[in-house]
Amino acid sequence: MNLEQLKKELAELSDETKKAIAEIKSVDALRSLETKTVGKAGPIGSLLGKIREFSPEERGAVGQTVNLAKKELVAMFAAAMAGIKSVAADAEASKASDYDPTLPGTAVRIGCAHPVTQVQWQVEEVFQRLGFLIETGPEMETEYYNFEALNIPALHPARDMQDTFWLENNMVLRTHTSPVQVHAMQRHGAPLRVLAPGRCFRYETIDASHENTFHQVEGLMIDKHISIANLIAMMKLLLQEVFHRDLKVRLRPGYFPFVEPGFELDMSCAICGGSGCATCKQSGWIEILPCGMVHPSVLRYGGIDPEKYTGFAFGLGLTRLAMMKYGVKDIRGLNGGDMRSLVPASRLAGPVILEKAEAVKGGSSC
Amino acid sequence: MLISLNWIREFVDLPEDLSAAELAERFTLACAEVEKVEPIEVGAKGLVCAAVVALEVVDADRGLRAARLDVGGGVTVDTVTAAANVGVGDRVVFAPVGACVKALGVIADSEVAGRPSSGMIVPGDAIGIAMALREAIHLPPSVETGTVLDEAGFDDWVIEVDNHSINHRPDLWGHYGLAREFAAIFGSPLKPYSVASLESLQDASLPEIPIDIDDADACPRYSGLLMRGVTGQPAPLWMQLRLGHVGLRPISCLVDLTNYVMLELGQPMHAFDGDKVQRIEVGFVDAGTHFTTLDGVDRKLPGDALMILSDRKPVALAGVMGGADTEISDATETILLESANFHPHTIRKCAAHLSHRTDASARFEKSLDPEHTVLAIQRFFELARPEFEELSLASRLSDAFVKPFDPVTITIDPEYVQRVIGHPVSGEEIARILTALEFKVSSSTDAAGRETMVVDVPSFRATRDIEIEADIIEEVARYIGFNNIAPAYPDVMVRALTVNPVQQLEGKSLRLFTGGLGMVELYRYIWYDATWSEKLGYDASHCLALRNPAAAGLERLRDSLVPGLLAAVEHNRHHFQELRFVELGGAFPCATNGAGCDGKDSEHTEVRRIGLMIAARGKNAEDTCLADMRGVVDAWSLSILERPATFEVADADASRPWEHPAKTSSICVGGKSIGRVSAIPLVLRQRIDEHLAAWGVAWAEFDLAPLTDGLTHFEPLASAPSFPEAEIDFSVLADASRRYSEIKSDLATFDDPLLRRITFVDSFEGKSVPDGKRSFTFRCHVGHSDRTMTDDDLSRFREAFQNQLTKSKLEAR
Repeated sequence: MNLEQLKKELAELSDETKKAIAEIKSVDALRSLETKTVGKAGPIGSLLGKIREFSPEERGAVGQTVNLAKKELVAMFAAAMAGIKSVAADAEASKASDYDPTLPGTAVRIGCAHPVTQVQWQVEEVFQRLGFLIETGPEMETEYYNFEALNIPALHPARDMQDTFWLENNMVLRTHTSPVQVHAMQRHGAPLRVLAPGRCFRYETIDASHENTFHQVEGLMIDKHISIANLIAMMKLLLQEVFHRDLKVRLRPGYFPFVEPGFELDMSCAICGGSGCATCKQSGWIEILPCGMVHPSVLRYGGIDPEKYTGFAFGLGLTRLAMMKYGVKDIRGLNGGDMRSLVPASRLAGPVILEKAEAVKGGSSC
Repeated sequence: MLISLNWIREFVDLPEDLSAAELAERFTLACAEVEKVEPIEVGAKGLVCAAVVALEVVDADRGLRAARLDVGGGVTVDTVTAAANVGVGDRVVFAPVGACVKALGVIADSEVAGRPSSGMIVPGDAIGIAMALREAIHLPPSVETGTVLDEAGFDDWVIEVDNHSINHRPDLWGHYGLAREFAAIFGSPLKPYSVASLESLQDASLPEIPIDIDDADACPRYSGLLMRGVTGQPAPLWMQLRLGHVGLRPISCLVDLTNYVMLELGQPMHAFDGDKVQRIEVGFVDAGTHFTTLDGVDRKLPGDALMILSDRKPVALAGVMGGADTEISDATETILLESANFHPHTIRKCAAHLSHRTDASARFEKSLDPEHTVLAIQRFFELARPEFEELSLASRLSDAFVKPFDPVTITIDPEYVQRVIGHPVSGEEIARILTALEFKVSSSTDAAGRETMVVDVPSFRATRDIEIEADIIEEVARYIGFNNIAPAYPDVMVRALTVNPVQQLEGKSLRLFTGGLGMVELYRYIWYDATWSEKLGYDASHCLALRNPAAAGLERLRDSLVPGLLAAVEHNRHHFQELRFVELGGAFPCATNGAGCDGKDSEHTEVRRIGLMIAARGKNAEDTCLADMRGVVDAWSLSILERPATFEVADADASRPWEHPAKTSSICVGGKSIGRVSAIPLVLRQRIDEHLAAWGVAWAEFDLAPLTDGLTHFEPLASAPSFPEAEIDFSVLADASRRYSEIKSDLATFDDPLLRRITFVDSFEGKSVPDGKRSFTFRCHVGHSDRTMTDDDLSRFREAFQNQLTKSKLEAR
């Protein structure tokens, strides 16, 4: 083979390739033709292999010629590739107009925490930001922790306030979360900031607004110089964070044997804004937070020296808070296990086409 | 406790410009919670005193009688009345024609039961004495017929205070104590309490009532006075109205007087028939003794019932109720008036034991002021003297004060008081507030030379209410006004407390289950419902029992969360095709796991549990649900504990019908068995509800406590391989009877230099798989650490693993 023949062969290859490319519509076919044509095993490869057949003087020119031809072919393929891709993109684009972007997405299974748990988490988050530790205590409690260590000795009239479930092993189902105060003091000592949510039990007749099984959260803060002014500030903060608004609060005397002084904290009614409605019994106030300065005897039961430390404690009815937040009219639904009253309807129903307005739905904005 | 504002105004001048509601609000903020404020609006005009001259039945069925009344000035009128408590000679409240009360309108002539009826004998409930429903109100003989009754006393405001909020304040169980708070609230003086002088009751020429107290702790003080010349006449109208306004029914002057003084001072009193009781002993009687109280009920007494005895015969249940035998009657001329102080717990226990709480016992159990016994007698005599013309003393005021009370004195540091309140308050202000409440305050200096204040607590606050400095702080703070204290954030020390690992695990787990793992959280009761247990065929008699269950059938505390979740599946299955539940809560298993346990010993512990349930309708749903359940548990374990969960085949517990005999496994994490996973057997599903037969229900139940190290464990990360790895899938057929676990341990013996890991992809039976066979797909991950693998490497590996499969009797598909 001489140089002329080689050039002719390359020209033929170029023509053939041009024709073949014109026929090709797919990226894959083009790629495979490109490999076949300019790859090691293809004609360009074999021509490069033949360089040795030429005289040493000719070899430089031959190499240059073949490489030039290869370059041209590669450029030809690149141009063709760009053409094919743009055709494919056009086709894709025209197909995409068939896509319905208004269709709902695939339904992904999501769970749902109990409404009371959700409110509990909300309160926990507020207090965790303030450095409170979340603690727990047993639901089956000793008489000692449920009453005595909270300054409620046997036969104290305050025991009437909390009708108690008694167990055959002489223990009780705790009537409040307050026993965790003493457990926590004994566990951690002072200073102390603790929040203890949990289930409580009272022996009462069940109706739409009374349950024998309900949730509370207990809060306790003990330090060197805790004052009533501190208690008020922290309680205001709690209600603001939970209800997302600046509520009016008022404190009045309340009697709980484990605090001294003891308070009832009322907040302005979130339903009527304080003007008086059925929810607040026309008073404009809702009794929400019993609280007070920890009684020195209770500190002593907890192993903390009341000469050195003072503290405040409060109790918040989580079940009640959840009812207010979600507009739950019947407390029994919360222990009832019917998913329809525990999970927001939109989570159960899937994509809604028509929803009839329901006048009674919806709670306060907390 | 009901408060009459008229009554309060007798002792303190209240601001005229404040409404009853505003007065009540001030009381709520400073003292105790007011529940209700209600007016008593009688609107009485022209009511007179009339005497009954004659009576005649006109309609026995309707209880109607014709009465001829003397209305004064020699005039008589005929009226028809429905009041049953009217007798000839009685003086009654009468509305002549033209008189008016709001409830009845203007009284006109009418005809009742065919008789002309002029005017009306006014029923008590029409003039503010609600308890005297359709009963006439009697007037004492001192009121002349025809006297027009003073209109002022009829109208009033009644404030209801929440009893719970004054449980600790015996002084607030009477109007004089309440008036003291009102006086302090408004800065008005409290008027002196008007009583007969002690000297007038201590006539040394008269005999003393012998009083013997067996147990000074049970009865620290007993005071008595014997009076002669009393009658069964009614109380004055003003007294009846006040009693009526606070919810009592007027009975007779003597009874009303004891109630009236009780409602002023909080001190209960009892009047014995003085002809029958002239000496007093206070002591206990044998358990089982019978005693008839004045309500006519024969009571079998407990051994710790404190009794008032006379000549060792029981005459009253101390602090609770008098006896029928010594009760005063209309004919009584002499009374022995009792005013005593009893140990609060003794009275409370006895009243509770007999289920007989009375106004008296409710007060005694609050620790009454021992100084009130004599004061109450002085007040009684003061009020009785103008009512009974013939009244005279038959004894000296007799007073056995066998266990004197120590006065309470508290030293306070005004600096400390101010610091705890968190609001500036001067020593003078503290002294002013306390003095208004009748505390005595003096200055002193402590050992360190600091100014202190010594506070003498008045006896009516000293029995239990005020004991320590914190109690004084409350008095000061509430009269500063809680709402005048400016909120301030605390300055605190930083201290890292040790977390409660189980609590943290609970929180994280619950967030995962109800989030990514798609479970709905339920709260179930912690006791079993016997009807449901029976339906499940579960014998819960070993479970811890409640002494006072919420209802019959709710006695047993649960030892598993599964029955409750299963009930929720049964409840929700009508509305959903698939259910996924989680519950976190206490269970109370017994240590012996039921063996020889009757639910009464103390072998039960409380454990915090997580219960999960997945239920779905459909063919083969049981196995799908079980597989999903294992997947959920494994995902939880990997996410929260950073370890996979493993499942080990376990024998079902035959006593727990929700454990499937062939499909129960224990859940193991980090080598610890923490609970179980299983499916509800078909026979149980059928028994519950035939529709549930078409469902599959899987459950898991486990404890978190064994995993306390769970939060500190983590899995280190591998680095990505430097050379490409390959995944090669092998699909094989095995005999359907072979267990995966067996195949797994077989394959686990395989080794090859290129092998990184073998994983399970899937397994199935049916359609494309020959009968008696099960298809498995395994995936081998292979790679070389120093170089890229060649085709030869891969072919060699394939062959080697294929040999292992053949050796393990797994045929290639």
